[in-house]
Amino acid sequence: MATAAVATASAVRTEKAPGIKPRGWIGFLFIAPNLLGVIAFTLIPLISVVVLAFTDWNLVSGLGGITFNGIDNFVAIARDPGFWHAIGLTLVYVVVSVPLTVVLGLALGIALNRPLPGRAVLRAIFFLPYIVNVVAIGMTWLMLMNPKAGLVNQVLDAFGIRPGWFASSHWALPALIVMAIWGGVGYCSLIYLSALQDAPRQLYEAADIDGASAWAKFRVITWPSLLPTTIFLLVTLIIGASQGFGLIALITAGGPGDSTTTISYYMYQTGFQFYRFGYASAIGLVTFVGVLVLTLLTWRAQRGRALNE
Amino acid sequence: MGAGLAAAVVPGCGSGGGGRSGALQVWGGVPAASGPGDVVKAFQEKFPQYPVNYTRFVNDDRGNLKLDTALQGGVDIDVYFTYSQGAMALRAGSGLAADLTDRVTADPDLKVFLDTEQPRSYIDNGKVKALATAREPFFVLFNEKLRQQAGVELPQAWTIDEFRSTAKRLTTDKTVGAYTVPDIARIALGPNYWYDGNRSNFGDPHFEQGFRVGREMIADGTAFPWTEVLARHLDAYQQNSFLTEEFHLWSTAPFNLRYLYDAKKYPHDFKVAFAPSPTVDGKDWNGGSFSNFIMINPKSPKFEAAWAFVKFWLTEGATPMLKGGKLPALGGVTDDQVITGMLGKEPDKYFDMDSFRRVVLEADPKLATDTRLTGFPEITLAVKQQRDLCWLGEKDPGVAIREVRRLADAAIARNERRP
Repeated sequence: MATAAVATASAVRTEKAPGIKPRGWIGFLFIAPNLLGVIAFTLIPLISVVVLAFTDWNLVSGLGGITFNGIDNFVAIARDPGFWHAIGLTLVYVVVSVPLTVVLGLALGIALNRPLPGRAVLRAIFFLPYIVNVVAIGMTWLMLMNPKAGLVNQVLDAFGIRPGWFASSHWALPALIVMAIWGGVGYCSLIYLSALQDAPRQLYEAADIDGASAWAKFRVITWPSLLPTTIFLLVTLIIGASQGFGLIALITAGGPGDSTTTISYYMYQTGFQFYRFGYASAIGLVTFVGVLVLTLLTWRAQRGRALNE
Repeated sequence: MGAGLAAAVVPGCGSGGGGRSGALQVWGGVPAASGPGDVVKAFQEKFPQYPVNYTRFVNDDRGNLKLDTALQGGVDIDVYFTYSQGAMALRAGSGLAADLTDRVTADPDLKVFLDTEQPRSYIDNGKVKALATAREPFFVLFNEKLRQQAGVELPQAWTIDEFRSTAKRLTTDKTVGAYTVPDIARIALGPNYWYDGNRSNFGDPHFEQGFRVGREMIADGTAFPWTEVLARHLDAYQQNSFLTEEFHLWSTAPFNLRYLYDAKKYPHDFKVAFAPSPTVDGKDWNGGSFSNFIMINPKSPKFEAAWAFVKFWLTEGATPMLKGGKLPALGGVTDDQVITGMLGKEPDKYFDMDSFRRVVLEADPKLATDTRLTGFPEITLAVKQQRDLCWLGEKDPGVAIREVRRLADAAIARNERRP
């Protein structure tokens, strides 16, 4: 009987094999609308950026106005103080905002993992900044951080501190970093929360039997089990922070001076305000490579540690 | 950036796109209800053979990009407006504007557009490519209630020093004397004041003077604190602070008068009086300009209809635009039309009419319209950035203006190298 069943199953597989090709095409038909969108709005622009990076083009002159200029744009980037200033600001923005967001997100995730009253409501509240419209966030923070009448400075007044926030070239970037952290912590905490609930319970029980302290349990059990989540968060947050644009465009427009002109905003100014699309594309390409390297380094560093653990 | 190329390849998505239609397609940045709709209606009454469709684009970076890609991609646009000088140079220099020289030269009514002393047109390599439809002179507005309380005389002619001392006298615990200082370098130097030969002109001392006077007025409390301007994005909403009497002297142009004659929509309880722009070292260029340039798409198959529309707008049709504060570039409107068009239904209730007649109707200020535009957007940004730092008190005026000069020189050199 068993032999016969196997033979029948084999025959069925053999009979269905010729049907794979048509089913594949049907599959393509199902994903075609999305695929066309990806080709039109992601793939073609992506290839265009690579091509345009080697041109001098102002868009208004049309496709006939594209002039290939070899590596001139990249040579110009190397000598462009505005580009390096923007890279510096972006690095500060990423290096300060991403680790703080992750650390605070982790702390909040652990706190929300405990049996607190109203836990579900608290989770929703902390996640809210992630889903609220960026314009609403920007306008709210603009009012909160008004140097004269804003709530933040009224509180800080008690400590004798009165930052200029968005009206100061020294405080505008820190203000954006505060907003980025506020916006990202809830998201991180939710991701950590789901990872924490997957942590192996039997290890905690064994550690309890061995009399391990809370810190020892966190260091030996919780943190290693959260490493893949941390890597995911670091990678996505680094990419997101490197591309930060919306709040800058809305609140500071790169200013005061050029104190918040991060690389994304610099690229926007170069392309859409100065109409130097070739140069802006080259900046985009260089930034892409930079972010890729940064992401790979992060991933490799964390991966190595995970293996050692 | 790739999106830019993609947009250039697949242009004109959205309204106004598509194939050629029978109607003349006109794209402008002013909402149809604020004047263009009535201009189109009047044109169609006179030229019923030319149906017109007016499409509004938002006059910001995105809106202008939409217009540029639509023009480049062959979307059905016959006539369009350009509001920024930087965009005008690009469009005219990139084959997006028809040559109107012969038409302008042949028409005695339009000869004034060939004037290069106070230009009303944009001439690219000797060819007229764009014609100003509006005249927007600057003036200084006074809050009459507060002026009379302070016992300050309404000036009929004054210098920048007198402007400053007046602002000081008008400053109280509740009201700052002036929003900001008028553009001193512009008043002294006139059109194309950013350029000197193949370099920038920021070595001229009037630029540093402008930064310095602005900074000193902010420091002594007679001009609006720049921290507040930036923190509240006040540059785009100056009218709100004028109406709520946060500041007194307001150097502005006719387009802001629309906020001052409707007390229901924009509540206030004071009349407004007009003073001319102050002079600097005996020079009296006005900070305003000829503006709202109309252009014809060289790809338009309806050139005759397009030209008829352009000429109508310039010579007889622009009266409805007064409600948006746009005085016709060629005049051609009566004083009564200007008063009822620009000052609402009850002009005597909201405005000091004697000063309005003197400053707006009877005066003929020298308007400074820039026609040299190399690196214009880059220089505009450099001036704004350094002015902000200077007026926040973070940078010395001399240091700030030297940085502007360095950035402007670099922008001019870079753009003049481009093919």
